[in-house]
Amino acid sequence: MDLSGRFGVRSGGGLLFREETALESLHLGGGDEFRQMVPPENGGGFTALLELPPTQAVELLHSSSSSSSQATSLHTLGVLAFPSNSVLMERAARFSVIATENQQTGNVSGETPTTTSSVPSNEHIKTEPAETETSDQAAVEKQNNRCGKRKDFDKKAKGSSKKNKSSEENEKLPYVHVRARRGQATDSHSLAERARREKINARMKLLQELVPGCDKIQGTALVLDEIINHVQSLQRQVEMLSMRLASVNPRIDFNLDTILSSENGSLMDGNFNGAAMQLAWPHQVMETEQSYHHRQLQQPPPQQWPFDGLNQPVWGREEDQDHGNDHNSLMVGSASLHPNQVKMEL
Amino acid sequence: MASADKPINTDVPEKDVFALHFLQSLSNLRRQNAFNSPDDTTNNRVKKIKKAAYVSMARAAGGTNRLWSRALLRRAAKENNKVVIFSRRKKRVTWLRRSNRRDPVDAERLRNLLPGGGAMETSKLMEETAHYIKCLSMQVKVMQCLVDGLSAK
Repeated sequence: MDLSGRFGVRSGGGLLFREETALESLHLGGGDEFRQMVPPENGGGFTALLELPPTQAVELLHSSSSSSSQATSLHTLGVLAFPSNSVLMERAARFSVIATENQQTGNVSGETPTTTSSVPSNEHIKTEPAETETSDQAAVEKQNNRCGKRKDFDKKAKGSSKKNKSSEENEKLPYVHVRARRGQATDSHSLAERARREKINARMKLLQELVPGCDKIQGTALVLDEIINHVQSLQRQVEMLSMRLASVNPRIDFNLDTILSSENGSLMDGNFNGAAMQLAWPHQVMETEQSYHHRQLQQPPPQQWPFDGLNQPVWGREEDQDHGNDHNSLMVGSASLHPNQVKMEL
Repeated sequence: MASADKPINTDVPEKDVFALHFLQSLSNLRRQNAFNSPDDTTNNRVKKIKKAAYVSMARAAGGTNRLWSRALLRRAAKENNKVVIFSRRKKRVTWLRRSNRRDPVDAERLRNLLPGGGAMETSKLMEETAHYIKCLSMQVKVMQCLVDGLSAK
């Protein structure tokens, strides 16, 4: 099995044999690749290994490029236990697929060291081909850019345990602090995937703000549920209101009718003007009406139809004539219309 | 590589716009003879009003510039045997599901809810949902005002 080969290679370090369990050493083998930083921190036996000079570390890394296969052995050995070395665990969790493979939530980006997270689910490690060293260089910069975003992965871990197999590959250069994970087939794909996931998360945040009461909920699935509930409730509300409208409608004679019909032609054109009108609408509805007016040289009264209709506290009242006289003032100041809409309270 | 698009635009027109379109469609409905005659069942009327509400909302909210509104309008037009006029499509329709690897954020239910949701990537779906929610709430407000105004008589 590869293990023996690896042990042989690493005998230069002479440290592995000091490990208590084969498990630990195996993990070390997996962790080696990720550990660019050589922290002289305390801890278990790993630290000694960590104190290797970078070159040696690199050599180890290179030698262990076939580590992908070793993952299987890691897997079979089960959970690794590193109680003593929290820092190490943190780094390992940060770097290794190990963390990602587990279905544990917070471990992916690995701020929280967890011993159990060290077992890599090797299916993923198996799938990846030998590290693409060449692409690592390119990946490095990107990864360095993304170091700050590591926290995002805490959230994503749960939802994306299957796929997320990290993006960046671990580069073999020493002293490059990278948030690397065993990942997908190639870097570009993984990076794209990660970018996509971040996109989705950003949008999810946006939705969370939109839907009331979603901020407190943790977990993407629940948030999604809440969003769906909200949309459904809105749709039901529309249906309810339309029912009420239907019952209310016939008994009122729409004065709007006459007003609208005359205006309909112009407005229909406006609808299909698309974006231009859409831009105009939000800002100056009156303005566009005036433009209609200019276009069509219609009589002023029809022009104010929406506000007329809205202005009437009671739909059925025949007060067009009264408002007709006001149209001049309306055209003068669109703002003046709004205070008039007391009843409608739009 | 996927690039992050910075500003997610989910602006929605003012309430006036929605009111405008809705009243317009309502008046259209009124003009239909079948609508006002007593033999038109309530259910039919409700359905028509509901449809009118959605269509008017879609028009007010973005016309054919938004995926969901486009799908809504198309669906409505199909029922009426009309044709939806596309104006100024910003992007071509994405070649979806191929590139959309179903990651764990499986928003299938959301897709079913949102008009035209089946044809979107997940990130796009969420953006559209946000816009849809805003428009829906606006439409609800308008309709509520209308009903209150009518029933307050």
